[in-house]
Amino acid sequence: MPPSVPPSVPPSVPPSAQPSGLPGAAAARTPRRAVVRFLRASFARVSSSKPRSVAEHVTDLADLPPAWTGRGSAAWPAVPLLAALALWAYAVRHTDVSHLDDFGLVTALHPAFWAGLALLTGGFWFTVRDPERRSAWSFAYVLGLLVMERATQAVLYPTPLYSWAWKHDGVIDHLLTAGGLQTAGQLGDMAVYDQWPGFFAAQAALVRLLGVESASMYMAWWPLVSSLLLLLPLLLIYRTYTEDRRLIWTAVWLFYVANWVGQDYFSPQSVAFALHLGVLAVVLRRYGRSGGRRGQRQAVWTVLITVLIVAIVISHQLTPGMLVVSLLALCLTRRYRGWVPPVTAVVIFLAWCLTAALPFLSAAMPDMIRSVGDVGANVETGYGATPTGTGAIATSWAARLLSGSVLLLALAGVVRQRVLRHRALPLLLLAAAPLPMFAASSYGSEMIFRVLMFMLPGAAFFAAAALLPRVRTLAGDAAARQAGRRGPALGAGRRRFALTLPGRRVAWLPPLVLVAATLAFVPSYSGKDRINYFPPQEVALVHELFDRATAGSLVVAPDRNYPLAYASYWNVDHYWFLEDDKRHVEEILRDPAAVLARDMAAVEPPGRAYVLFTRGQTANSEMNGMLDGAQLAHIRTSVAASPRFALVARNSAGAVYTLRTGS
Amino acid sequence: MTPQELVVRMLPAFGGWLALAALTLPGGSPLRGAAVVVFLAAGPGAALVRICGPALRARRAEGPVERRDPHFERHSDLLEGLMLALLLSVGVAMIVATVLIAAHAFSGQRVLLTLTVLTTLAAFCPSLRASPTPRTPKGAAP
Repeated sequence: MPPSVPPSVPPSVPPSAQPSGLPGAAAARTPRRAVVRFLRASFARVSSSKPRSVAEHVTDLADLPPAWTGRGSAAWPAVPLLAALALWAYAVRHTDVSHLDDFGLVTALHPAFWAGLALLTGGFWFTVRDPERRSAWSFAYVLGLLVMERATQAVLYPTPLYSWAWKHDGVIDHLLTAGGLQTAGQLGDMAVYDQWPGFFAAQAALVRLLGVESASMYMAWWPLVSSLLLLLPLLLIYRTYTEDRRLIWTAVWLFYVANWVGQDYFSPQSVAFALHLGVLAVVLRRYGRSGGRRGQRQAVWTVLITVLIVAIVISHQLTPGMLVVSLLALCLTRRYRGWVPPVTAVVIFLAWCLTAALPFLSAAMPDMIRSVGDVGANVETGYGATPTGTGAIATSWAARLLSGSVLLLALAGVVRQRVLRHRALPLLLLAAAPLPMFAASSYGSEMIFRVLMFMLPGAAFFAAAALLPRVRTLAGDAAARQAGRRGPALGAGRRRFALTLPGRRVAWLPPLVLVAATLAFVPSYSGKDRINYFPPQEVALVHELFDRATAGSLVVAPDRNYPLAYASYWNVDHYWFLEDDKRHVEEILRDPAAVLARDMAAVEPPGRAYVLFTRGQTANSEMNGMLDGAQLAHIRTSVAASPRFALVARNSAGAVYTLRTGS
Repeated sequence: MTPQELVVRMLPAFGGWLALAALTLPGGSPLRGAAVVVFLAAGPGAALVRICGPALRARRAEGPVERRDPHFERHSDLLEGLMLALLLSVGVAMIVATVLIAAHAFSGQRVLLTLTVLTTLAAFCPSLRASPTPRTPKGAAP
């Protein structure tokens, strides 16, 4: 596309030809002739190089073919795509992550990364708008987006991110060591993972089958893998309601850029979410009323979704609940008023909760019942999760703005696209279905993020619809014609619907919104990498600690934000003092060495008591509103100077001390 | 059965036995990893989809109101088959691994062997046929 030609308005079409600017039928005739002339001219140009008739595929002005139809035009989307990937490759080779500040990866990234991401988004927008382009180009752009979004950290950082991912590595290590599931009597609070073991058991098998030392060898790539898993179900869900490739692929794009919540890391929920979308895709496509006679066919489909639901239920606590509310929401429509899917999900969920997961649920039930209906508390993010410092606050606001913008766009899409609102009502219900979960539980102060993630598949569809021409039915088109508001028809009589073009004055707005949302993903997703990244020295230090820690030992640390924090959790105890009562934290601050020595004194030989300080703990404490760097340094200095403690190991990432026996 | 149908039927099971054979390669070997991952991600699901396919495809899926592209529906069905092969494989692997670990009979090889045997059995199962519609006259070809 030459730069002089706007993406959606051909140069030969005057501004008055746009439907929104026409006061009456008489005014419509002139622009209609202009459009027909343009179409004929375009057809003459294109037909010389392409066998198919362009006019057959044109549905609105936005579908008009590009003015440049030269020999290389079919492959021009490769230019921005390859250029963006080249910029990305250059950027990751020239990005230094050894000194991250409070903005995480945002300030560390080479400027070429941002240019590449903007170029990729621009290329995608101009590619997806052209109906003559095959979906393969949009697919290639989405793959490019996933590489730039979800593989950059895996390429840049030498170690896996997120203490939670390291924790899950610890759970797999436990399953491989124990060879079976254990109870709360053996594992304490960590037994919860043995009651939802699906993901961990499969990963334990994978570790053995790949012949690698642990899951940490590949878990840095999991965000890319789990994001790719979502692609097929997402495409199927959107293809149930529209054939418009622009809408399908723009919705997929918006889903990925708005899904900054970070549940794609090495975790059960990352796989359970893909399975959840798979069940929804099957239900939306195969359980509608227009599918003809049921019976054997539906029984076979029910067997297949049962396999998927069982895999969800044995893997994750929250996803089955989200699936049930989503399936119940679909039952609100006449089209999907079949009770087989929700009843199947409820029965399997209850069967698991009342058997394998009963120990955890019976212990947690009083708290869960207390939190039902307490929406305010459930929405709160809790102590230790208050963004503190310029970087943390700025990236946190970027994430909020991104989510808010996509949800507002979705709202605009719902209001603006009356036809889609009717046709894709199930997607609207799926977007709203997770909202009641606010009243159900706080889910460890994370409910607001999880609800947002489960809303996204439906919300992204309507957000994309807000950026694209309006969909009209044939009847609506005729009514508009009668009312004298009809725009230039392009063979409307032969088509079931026509799309309208946004006014020329705002033609630049949709691509700008898309670029802004895509760029905003980076601070939202990677803005806290100072907390989430553990340099190799930090991993080595903790390894050294656990190599020494015998069964019955205790590891004390300010917080749990360090790699391998749950290593050997089945025989080594942990105490994170910033999670303790605030008065006790103040007591520790007054006399760190003495109070910590007292807290650690109960360890019996041959176990030893260790205290660990790392840079990841400091970053987490500072950026989440707990103790600041000076206070933590005071604690560490006090321990280092105390005769009660002896230095075990130290490097640039931190230090380990042990309580001397007899202290 | 045409040679093509035989290949489609036996490929997932062959992938499983190939993955088992690949376990003789050293740990961390890319070939071993590729054979294992490809089978775990697609083998069991593909076998299940082949069995259920004819019954599943007997009726049209829900689709967009406007149907302009004659290939759109076929492509959607193809995507659905791919999605099911992938997600069912992942789901079955999780279920088998969980059952073995709950039974204290867990090992990586046992998980792979169980999945391979199930996939091989599935290869010998006939496909589920679609039940005839009520309007199908007696004696008509299915």
